[in-house]
Amino acid sequence: MGHLSKFFRSTVAGPLVAFLVVAAAVSLATPRFLQAQNLANVSLQVATVAVVSIGATLVILTGGIDLSPGSTVALVTCTLAILVKNMGLPLPVGIVLVLLLGIVCGAINGFFSTYGRIPSFIVTLATMSVYRGLAFLITKGTPIFSVSPALEPIFYGRLLGIPLPFYYVVILYSLAALFLRNTVPGRAIYAVGGNESAARLTGIAVNRYRMMAFVLAGLTAAIGGVLLTAWLNSGSPNYGAELGLQSIAAAVIGGASLTGGYGSMIATLIGALTVAIVQNGLNLLAVPASWQEITLGAVIVLAVGLDMWRSSIGRGIGNIFSRRTPAR
Amino acid sequence: MMSDGMEQKPGETPQTAVPLWEVRSISKAFPGVQALDNVSMAIYPGEIHALVGENGSGKSTLAKCLAGVHQPESGQILYKGEVVNFPHPLAARAHGVATIYQEFSLVPSLTVAENIYLNRYPRSGAVIDWDAVRRGTQQVLNQLGLEIDPDAVVKDLSVAEQQLVEIAKATSLESNLLIMDEPTAALGLVETEHLMKLIRRLAAQGKAIVYISHRLDEVFQIADRVTILKDGKWVTTTPISQLKMGDMVRMMIGFDIQQHYPKERNSKAVPCLEVENISTANGVHNVSFTVNVGEVFGLGGMLGSGRTEIARAIYGLDKLTSGSIKLYGRPVRFKSPQDAVAAGIGMVPENRKADGCFFNFDSPKNITVSRLKELLHGPFIHLRDERRIGETYARRMNIPPSGLERSVQFLSGGNQQKVIIARWLFSKARLLIMDEPTQGIDIGAKLEVYRVINELTASGISIILISSDIPELLAMSDRVAVVRDGRILEIAGAQQITEYDLIAAASGANDEEEDAEKRAAGITPQA
Repeated sequence: MGHLSKFFRSTVAGPLVAFLVVAAAVSLATPRFLQAQNLANVSLQVATVAVVSIGATLVILTGGIDLSPGSTVALVTCTLAILVKNMGLPLPVGIVLVLLLGIVCGAINGFFSTYGRIPSFIVTLATMSVYRGLAFLITKGTPIFSVSPALEPIFYGRLLGIPLPFYYVVILYSLAALFLRNTVPGRAIYAVGGNESAARLTGIAVNRYRMMAFVLAGLTAAIGGVLLTAWLNSGSPNYGAELGLQSIAAAVIGGASLTGGYGSMIATLIGALTVAIVQNGLNLLAVPASWQEITLGAVIVLAVGLDMWRSSIGRGIGNIFSRRTPAR
Repeated sequence: MMSDGMEQKPGETPQTAVPLWEVRSISKAFPGVQALDNVSMAIYPGEIHALVGENGSGKSTLAKCLAGVHQPESGQILYKGEVVNFPHPLAARAHGVATIYQEFSLVPSLTVAENIYLNRYPRSGAVIDWDAVRRGTQQVLNQLGLEIDPDAVVKDLSVAEQQLVEIAKATSLESNLLIMDEPTAALGLVETEHLMKLIRRLAAQGKAIVYISHRLDEVFQIADRVTILKDGKWVTTTPISQLKMGDMVRMMIGFDIQQHYPKERNSKAVPCLEVENISTANGVHNVSFTVNVGEVFGLGGMLGSGRTEIARAIYGLDKLTSGSIKLYGRPVRFKSPQDAVAAGIGMVPENRKADGCFFNFDSPKNITVSRLKELLHGPFIHLRDERRIGETYARRMNIPPSGLERSVQFLSGGNQQKVIIARWLFSKARLLIMDEPTQGIDIGAKLEVYRVINELTASGISIILISSDIPELLAMSDRVAVVRDGRILEIAGAQQITEYDLIAAASGANDEEEDAEKRAAGITPQA
């Protein structure tokens, strides 16, 4: 078979086609979309969502779900602002501390949903509320502006003329893809999501890898939080409210299965880009925020729907019926 | 209307009568396989027509074409000589086709009666007439000789009982053709007997029965005629009386089986696993036994006797409440299967789909998952090495090359089982627990599993074999333990014990005889 047909059967093909269709639609709807300045904006806007989506994908691969990253991001922006502005800690120390905070947030999610045996949907629904509540608590509800002049270059700096966030995304996604494809824990995460019982009987420490996925999700949420703080040079308990849904949307648009075991980093990145250009297009068209949220919801349903329908045709006879009866 | 072929004596090929059902030269392809290739078959009223062949021979596909689940790409289906078209299962249903599938279609949270009348509840006015539902259900159950409460919730029933309810449901439908796909796979001896009687009764009422089974002894017991398929092609249709078991097997698999069970004895007088007085909260009581290096140690007993629980205790799935286990002379205490695997034990689980296969992986990845550390170059898995090694193991197990590139969900049951065994070969396990390793796989694949067992034991691997197929258990084991109520009643050389003895001991029939003798002698037996 040719490379082309192989590509079209690959898992990346669907999300990529969807991305191109959306991009074409947006550029037809508004000529401003393809202007260099706007594209540069998109690439900045996508950075936070893309980084947070790495963690969302890892958790979804194990068959869990993380609703809390948006709240973790808010807590991280507030904590970083307080540590650096109010307490006067050096910025690098502050960043290391909030990355640890993210890991702790993830570990709490992981602990209750694995060893505590509470469904991750419930645990992270609760911590979504708790982490944002903590952000309100430590800031008394007021945003903290002008955190540190040292923050700006982290987000607005350029290397060889390209904005730094581009490098962060490329580096983090490369590391995550390498982790998933080529390491024992990465493979174990797929195994746990693919068939938990079989993973256990094969001697895979199921809880450990579930935990690991949540901890890494906490870490990527914290990195997203640092980026957001640098972007806006501020911390606020209201930040990141949409990130939980958007990161799940990115993974799902990228073809990750919410039952676990299917998905990839490159596909999630394409998903994150799709989410970002939908949002950007709506902004350019001056669509009110309320309609933007409604549109994101519709896009998620459409993405999952398309995936289900595609697999029912493609994998088809194989999948739908083989659930009940073997292929022959 | 149904009398066309009624006078036909079973076992004879009616040449003149119009068949009740007929498929003419139908073909059906799935991605990568020609499932049916120009197959024809006629089914007469009152006939029990067995459909046999290996896994992947196309018999289930043929049945599903008749049931409207699949639509053939070419060829025709005829009902009483007229061409019919089934775009969906309901169309077949409307023509009187009822099907019992291998997998269950019952709703676990509903009662037996609710399930049997699902979607067709009798009503008085707008409300369901529950009395009629219950009465009707009781009648159906009585016909089958089943002692199941119509009000019992299906999920509380045993697997065998659920299968019987499934059969009851299908037989209660108004039908002229009943398709049964492996109806006895989950049944015990007694239930199978009941089912055979019922099938004969249904046939005597003029219904046509298509009976699909791997158990050839059953086929010989029940069928009037048999159609043999191989690789999607029709081989023969012939009255069962003109066929010998050996001929049938040869036509199914395409070669002769010299010996049905090619057992090799590789047991050495060196202990591999020593189990002493172990008990668990899960119903294992004071179990002791030793498995030698290269030995196949069989655990025989009825479903629910505690065989699987003993295996679970050894594998670290259930906590020991007392007793000890030694592996190669060293005391071990497994807190989880992870410890057991690390110590060199592997498990081939009873339910390979739910507990064995990773459907999101292809065959090589399913094999290497047990010991990924072996493939590390520095901190990373070497993907090309992995593929090469995985494929080598798959080839060793005769898994077809076409199955290597895709998810294992596209493999036949037998090949899936071989992938799981290969997984433990790769992990270099020294003791393998095989729970029903040949259940639901065809003769060819069974033979390969036996061959692998020989190969494993010859290389010094020990095996704990659990099987409900008693001839298989006795033939392939070196020694057999009789298990009942979580206890080992006796351990005997597999050649010293007969099938009858094993069943009698495992089912407690001996005790009843003894009790009866004691009662006769005026002694009250103790509970």
